[in-house]
Amino acid sequence: MNRVRVILLAVCCYAASAASDEAAIPRGIIVLPADEAPSLVLKDLDGKPFDLKAQRGHWVFVHFWASWCGPCRKEMPTIQQMADQLKSDKFSIVLVNTAEDDDRAFSFMGIVAPELTPLMDYDGQTTERWQPRGLPSTFLIDPQGRRRFLALGGRKWDDPEYLGFLRHLIGTQ
Amino acid sequence: MRLQVRTKLSDDSTSRLLRTGCLMALCLMLLSAAALAQDKPKRPTVENDMFRFSLMPRTAEQMAGFYEGRGFPSAALQLIKQTCFITAVFRNKSDRVIWLELDNWRIVTAQGEVKRLDRAYWKQQWQRIHLPLADQSTFGWTLLPEVRDLQPHEPVGGNLVLPPLQQPFTLKAFFTTGKDKRGTGINVEFRNIQCARDNKPS
Repeated sequence: MNRVRVILLAVCCYAASAASDEAAIPRGIIVLPADEAPSLVLKDLDGKPFDLKAQRGHWVFVHFWASWCGPCRKEMPTIQQMADQLKSDKFSIVLVNTAEDDDRAFSFMGIVAPELTPLMDYDGQTTERWQPRGLPSTFLIDPQGRRRFLALGGRKWDDPEYLGFLRHLIGTQ
Repeated sequence: MRLQVRTKLSDDSTSRLLRTGCLMALCLMLLSAAALAQDKPKRPTVENDMFRFSLMPRTAEQMAGFYEGRGFPSAALQLIKQTCFITAVFRNKSDRVIWLELDNWRIVTAQGEVKRLDRAYWKQQWQRIHLPLADQSTFGWTLLPEVRDLQPHEPVGGNLVLPPLQQPFTLKAFFTTGKDKRGTGINVEFRNIQCARDNKPS
């Protein structure tokens, strides 16, 4: 009888733990099959080179956007707020401007998120390789360089549910 | 954390920012005035518990203006002006996957079925006029995706491009549902849709 109780307790604990993991994923974030992220080698708006491979060892927030996209304009300030609240050497934020020039990106960022510096995908071909589900789109890359989560469309990244989710990822790597 | 703070803006950068801000404010004022001067655009919409689906016919000038603002060359703008743009916005409100597949959509006029101008058509046009890759990419991201497994509560939006149609048409859209597409199908029909014309309420 005691053995049955122990098994039941173990099953309950496992179920509670699974439920807690599921609850940690906010609505609109989908789990990906953990395939290796495509290459992401670009220069930023200041001409500084960037290679995603050099980010192995911590989570990376890879966000694709363009200045003409309405939801991007709403979302970008919330990314800056999120960045301010999640300053950590275990987490990088990478913003990829899709197929625009320096002037357009600089003007847009200067207004909506002046403290963030985007990478420039001038010809849009890096974005084509990543195939985000439209713009804006965000991938969360795990410390092994795999695409683990995808955010569908724009969202308020400074909302407690997203901050909590990201903190959970950073804290459990 | 890979963040950089732009603490030192050069005089050139500052004046460029100011000029851009002034231009944007002016554009917003002009757009507001234009919006007030026009009748509220018609947006045919179908909504139920599972989804919300809206269409917005765009005029040639609206579309050419958008792409001109992104630096598209005049050869591309001429091609764009010769077509009919319908912006479609769809939101999956359900808890199951809804498949958007443009091959399951039909555009029908009194004279028969009309073939939409798909990505292959545009690729051919852009290659013919040597449109820069950046512009091809931007144009592609403004089109509706050919196929999308819309996850629960996921929205999608983009343009459906047709040849210029003088007469009204019916858009018949069919969606499969479920991860394996074996769920109940959804049929949506928009009747009496017209391509928008400039200087006339759409």
